[in-house]
Amino acid sequence: METVKIKKITALWIVVVLLLFVVSIILGILMRLNQGEIIHHSPVTFYGNMTTHGLTMIGIWFVAGMAGVNYLMQRYVTVSLWPNMTGLIFTAIGVILLWVSTFIGDFHAGWTFLYPLPFKVMWASWATPMFLCSLTVMGVGWLIWSLGMVMQLLKRYSISQVFAWQHFGKNPKVETPPFVLISMITLVGVIASLLAAVVLLILYFMEFFSNSSFVNDALLMKNLTYFFGHTIANEMLYLGLAVLYELFSEVSGRPKWKTTWYIAVSWNLSLVFILTAFFHHLYMDFVQPEGLQIVGQLASYLASLPAAGVTVFSVIIAVYRTKIKWSLTNLLFFIGVAGWVVGGLGALIDATISNNFVLHNTLWVPAHFHTYNVMGNVLFSLAFFHWFAMQFANNNITERFAKTKLGLLILGGAGFLAVFYLGGAESIPRRYSNYPAEFPSAQVLAYVGAIFATVYLIAILFFFLNISKRCVKIMFSSSS
Amino acid sequence: MCKDYVFIFLIALVFSTVNVTAQVTQNGWKEERQVYQKVFDAKLDIDEQRSATILQLAQTKPLIIAMVFTRCTGVCSPFLLQFKENLQMIEKKNFNVVVISFDTRDSLKDMAMLAQIFDLKTNPQWTFAVTDAIDSLSSSIGFDPVWDEKRQQFEHDAIAVGVNTEGIITKKLIGMRNSKDLELLIKSIEGAFSPSYRLPGKSNLFSCFNYNPQTGRNMPGLGLLFIAIPAVVTFLLVVVINLLTKNYRA
Ligand code: HEM
Repeated sequence: METVKIKKITALWIVVVLLLFVVSIILGILMRLNQGEIIHHSPVTFYGNMTTHGLTMIGIWFVAGMAGVNYLMQRYVTVSLWPNMTGLIFTAIGVILLWVSTFIGDFHAGWTFLYPLPFKVMWASWATPMFLCSLTVMGVGWLIWSLGMVMQLLKRYSISQVFAWQHFGKNPKVETPPFVLISMITLVGVIASLLAAVVLLILYFMEFFSNSSFVNDALLMKNLTYFFGHTIANEMLYLGLAVLYELFSEVSGRPKWKTTWYIAVSWNLSLVFILTAFFHHLYMDFVQPEGLQIVGQLASYLASLPAAGVTVFSVIIAVYRTKIKWSLTNLLFFIGVAGWVVGGLGALIDATISNNFVLHNTLWVPAHFHTYNVMGNVLFSLAFFHWFAMQFANNNITERFAKTKLGLLILGGAGFLAVFYLGGAESIPRRYSNYPAEFPSAQVLAYVGAIFATVYLIAILFFFLNISKRCVKIMFSSSS
Repeated sequence: MCKDYVFIFLIALVFSTVNVTAQVTQNGWKEERQVYQKVFDAKLDIDEQRSATILQLAQTKPLIIAMVFTRCTGVCSPFLLQFKENLQMIEKKNFNVVVISFDTRDSLKDMAMLAQIFDLKTNPQWTFAVTDAIDSLSSSIGFDPVWDEKRQQFEHDAIAVGVNTEGIITKKLIGMRNSKDLELLIKSIEGAFSPSYRLPGKSNLFSCFNYNPQTGRNMPGLGLLFIAIPAVVTFLLVVVINLLTKNYRA
């Protein structure tokens, strides 16, 4: 019974995520059109859209990863429904509060709501507390969900098994599936980032309630903001990777991947690096001691090596000169890994202190993080969505229009991202609602970006219709 | 059961939102208020023959606006004096200073006298003016003097406001400030970005680092602990959950 409910709730998650994704892409296209001077929004509307877009995107692709991991985890442990349900209810309330605060209250401090922006009230005065409440609600819901999953894992595996420490030696007696290892490592990172959000929000509320008799330290607030923001944005990618490790070989008709010593070591190490890489967001903060800046650069390099290196290696080994049963699912995974690598390289270039002096807050930043999301993580989750929908389709559906959908997705995604990179290379600043005359190419690039993004949107609409149709059927079916 | 919890949660949420709203319109961040906004284009009377709007003055050279009143028994005189001395130490002079009275009792004569006292009457960089639109000007720069009937004086800040050639407020300095701060203000009206960091005061609880001006050293502060807390608590949570679930694994 519980399994049926989890199946239905996963289907519901998928529909909600795809629906919100379509809306958020439209907001993204509107921003690019505004930057291209094709449409004319006031700065308040632009920044309101930017805040909604950024936070909704991060939120939905995080919960998409969680829903995927939660669903597949049933293969290894008993999964209870209520943490998942709590996550769903709290996310729904949180998104509503967020959208009310931005669309009605005009809150527009960006998805990082960097201190002290929320206190510089340039919107309805209730919008700031509502925005902070929306984050609190989502944060609490996700924390309960994550802790629930950790609990289930630890009911079955001991702490050393769940982290695959027995694989550090030779001939381990118990095998920890890669999916379990990666899920656990990621959930720990997720919990840490959500707790950072808790501390951050408490400090925000303290300043509110104290009526200015207590003020926060800007450096502390920025560190906490990126501990939360950077870490959760990275961990959501790892949730997608956990799903990839579980499904890629299976749908390709290859033997299941096993945990080896180097997989165990690399993932354990990545936990440490991921939790310290956020310092690279503070390179421009002259009051942050140099030591932490160096930690930021080193951790950024090291974080990418184990997880990315090992995953790319495993995927290449899996497909190189082997007979693969290619399907839309594993193609999405495969292209997603490529997108992730390209975005990761862009991120490493930016995380190098000497480069950051040039690239900081230019379009290079949205270029790289959109790459590993738009062409990376989104594809991992789409692969899961597609696989999930296919699993429960009663008839043997052929993957119609697969090539068209993929073609549009790659063309739209690559074009949209390329103009971001070009903009970054030309030092065009990010987060400008309108570009000044000093950047003559910025408007054209924005317009071209909007066109390619529309192509990407068309591909997503195909996926949306195809997958949601089946998910709605699953939600309302009475059979198991 | 579950519905009850959701209901209680929603009530608590609405309540806290309403409660917190009252706190938002707080008075802090005085120095940041109105920065990057356009200054009100008030018409200034400079002498019997001359008048000009703020934007007209700013178009030729960026401005630093200082707000004073001639009957001030408090900060105005020391502020103007220090301001003048600090400006003399600064080599770059590609800006003008406009001293404006915010007291409607002040006449052109009063302002001319003030200029005379400070030996600035013939200095082309300085202009002393009065305006009929003082309320709009004051609110556009986030300056709110309060009249004290008993003392027949204004309660007010010593304030210098940087306005660039487009009439945008680029930076504000509140209080008597040193030449270094003034240099930053001048840089800002010339369009350069000046990094600033609010110094921790008594109301600032959790600084990451505490700077000791005597030794010139930076010591780790309580704030650093807050950055470590999430990781430590996560670790503890995993250990606790591990203990709680021990029986299931057996
Ligand atoms: C085709 C789809 C998308 C379009 C058209 C789009 C468009 C944009 C644009 C125009 C910006 C503002 C860039 C700037 O000038 O700084 C932006 C920012 C952002 N986007 Fe996207 N985006 C898309 C997909 C995504 C996805 C999939 C994610 C995450 C999973 C995402 C997350 C963000 C975030 C976090 C920001 C920063 C917001 C801020 O600075 O507060 N976007 N996006």
